[in-house]
Amino acid sequence: MTPDSRKILTLRNDLAELPRLAAFVDEFCDAVQPGEDDRMALQLVLEEAVTNVINHGYADGQGHEFTVTLQLADEGRVCAVVTDDAAPYDPLTRPPVDVEASLEDRQVGGLGVHLMKRLTQHAHYERRDGKNVLTLERAIRRVS
Amino acid sequence: MDITENIQNSATVLGLTGRLDGLTSGTLERKVDALLAGGAKRIVFDCGQLLYVSSAGLRVFLSSAKKLKAAGGSAAFAALTPAVREVFELSGFTTMLEIHPDAAAATAAKA
Repeated sequence: MTPDSRKILTLRNDLAELPRLAAFVDEFCDAVQPGEDDRMALQLVLEEAVTNVINHGYADGQGHEFTVTLQLADEGRVCAVVTDDAAPYDPLTRPPVDVEASLEDRQVGGLGVHLMKRLTQHAHYERRDGKNVLTLERAIRRVS
Repeated sequence: MDITENIQNSATVLGLTGRLDGLTSGTLERKVDALLAGGAKRIVFDCGQLLYVSSAGLRVFLSSAKKLKAAGGSAAFAALTPAVREVFELSGFTTMLEIHPDAAAATAAKA
């Protein structure tokens, strides 16, 4: 795959869509051939972003659609964008997780955004044209 | 994800295979809650065949460890695959949770 080719997936706000997302990321990775650690990171980062939208984005109980795009931005960088028309919400503003806390003190939750930030070099949120646009970039090492 | 269950040294060993994600984590949570309701005090999560875990899975691991501790028991995690170990390390789980090289070591260890 050459830089610039962009893959788009449309998802419904239903956790049953997660296997389709995983297959989409795998297909992209099969074409781009990043290392195994990059493949896992992309799977994880996108699951976290998409799960947030599905679980918290829409409060009306109705079915909605939103999109995920994956793009090899240049030879060593993947750019993922999740775009949804749910209520404005910037997940990146979540307070950081205290990874040093003991089992008793450790809060359950917040780890999705933590992993999203740790596994990317660049994470950016904006509200654009009535939509939430979350951009996540990861430097990858291509194996072939 | 598939979950197997067996008893070793009076510990319940849950063998996890596949992906523990936002879709499958609820199954594991219900399993752990049922074991707790049945009086289980020691649960070992055998992760030798667990290829992927996301925050939804980590959440169940963490809440299981908390619930067991509150019930006077404990949770242990065994045979982490490289992918799962990386996520555990990024999340601070390797220092917070009890981790063993394999399920046998986890069931032999003093809880």
